[in-house]
Amino acid sequence: MQQAGVLGGRALREGLRTPESAVPTLFIPLFFLVVNVGQAGKIFPSSSTSFLEGQSYAAFTLPSSLLLAASFGTAALYLVEDIEGGYFDKLRAAPISRSALVIGRLLAEAAKSVVITAILVVLSLPFGISIASGPVGFLLLLVLTALWAVVFAGFMQLIALKTRSAAATNSGGLVFFPLLFLTPNFVPRELLTRPMEIAATFNPVTYVMEGLRSLILQDLAWAPIARGFAVVAVLGVVMVALNVRLIRHYD
Amino acid sequence: MELDAGVATERAVVPQQEMSQDRSSVPGMKLAVEAQGLVKQYRGRSGTVDAVRGVGLAVAAGEVFGFLGPNGAGKSTTVRMLTTLMSITSGTARVAGVDVMAEPDAVRRRIGVALQEAGLDPRQTGRELLVLQARLFGSSSGQASAKAQELLELVDLVDAADRRIKGYSGGMKRRLDLASALVHEPEVLFLDEPTTGLDPASRLTVWDEVRRINARGTTVFLTTQYLEEADQLCNRIAIIDGGRIVREGTPGQLKGDLQRRRATAPPPTLEEVFLDATGRTRERVAGDVKGVSE
Repeated sequence: MQQAGVLGGRALREGLRTPESAVPTLFIPLFFLVVNVGQAGKIFPSSSTSFLEGQSYAAFTLPSSLLLAASFGTAALYLVEDIEGGYFDKLRAAPISRSALVIGRLLAEAAKSVVITAILVVLSLPFGISIASGPVGFLLLLVLTALWAVVFAGFMQLIALKTRSAAATNSGGLVFFPLLFLTPNFVPRELLTRPMEIAATFNPVTYVMEGLRSLILQDLAWAPIARGFAVVAVLGVVMVALNVRLIRHYD
Repeated sequence: MELDAGVATERAVVPQQEMSQDRSSVPGMKLAVEAQGLVKQYRGRSGTVDAVRGVGLAVAAGEVFGFLGPNGAGKSTTVRMLTTLMSITSGTARVAGVDVMAEPDAVRRRIGVALQEAGLDPRQTGRELLVLQARLFGSSSGQASAKAQELLELVDLVDAADRRIKGYSGGMKRRLDLASALVHEPEVLFLDEPTTGLDPASRLTVWDEVRRINARGTTVFLTTQYLEEADQLCNRIAIIDGGRIVREGTPGQLKGDLQRRRATAPPPTLEEVFLDATGRTRERVAGDVKGVSE
């Protein structure tokens, strides 16, 4: 864990020294929030829309923006730079546990996600959003989003390790968009058409989104929160295991 | 940076001492690198590619061993196998007395590696990179800082220590890369083409560093395409071509052997030895090139 911490610290320093990389991570999710509210806010007034739990439509759609911000997977792009520049081989030639090589970057990705999510929530406050589950809920929201960031960065690192190409890794990140749109991101699942509902049910992002949404709209509702955490826990373990396996067999 | 006169003298003497003996056959001699029948095959789209075809090596502890070969001969692949960076298709390899395949982490603790392209993180400063490397090898924060300072002084980078690496010149990057390979005082240092792309002055500086490092007792396994470099630095050399070792010995032995075969008066240069061994001369010496490792 000490090695993972040292590598995580280095990855955080890397992020701090390229602040420009954080701009799209903040701007694009905020843009989506504004556009979504602008397009559908009037259709779903808070006074007559029960699933908004008395909040604005921005509160309902905020989880989409948070998940989008957590799905940039910049850790994988930095990893490709390390591979192309030869630094990754330098690290592989050191007696570092292969899991520390993976987990170091993912820890940094989680930390960055916590900061970005907090900033996004603060920037969303003018849209009339409040976190109904209180400080504990806000903390859970930060952790759940950060764990999703770890899962998605882990997925993108798999592409980076397999292809060793920045272009392929970048393209791989676009897979998040179909996943995002196959969720109940505009309306609750029960209001989706049947085919969309089936697709959303099989989509793991749905459960993370519903967990986040419940934390924003309701007091602590443990069932959706637990489903969200269960999904990221399972996917997180799978991603770390696949990453470690790939590094062990990396030639 | 000035050349260490004592080290230079020692370097000049050692090859002469070794010309009379075959290191791999001296009983009890400690070997820093030992490989037998080392093979690397890749599966490519057009079938199996044999990158290394049964390389055998015996590098004595304390020597500077040069590994020469044309582009694509298998130099870097061999180094990557010996440094645990690449799997071995068949054969065995021991580095610092440890089996590379069975105990890769134990090998990693005993070796330093500076690969063809200086593997550095351009966003860190030189000092941060060395501290990080030392911490990864188990040093505490304080020990790592002290080690970084010592190494920065060794490679004459103290003034640039707190600048980001992306602003370093090619020669500075090479020296920092060398320093980062030394944080844990390795028994064996692998240098893969350490001076490729450097200007002549930077090349001489790197040569001096290599001599200093070797003088501290570190075995150096060096690949290079520069024959003068091998002649200047190495106690013994091996020439690899087409994945096989085609010559091995001290520079003096190899030149003497070619001179005898050619029966000409002026002693050949190492370049002529290399061209003869790899079949790249116009007037190729009569007789087949023999694979000494087979």
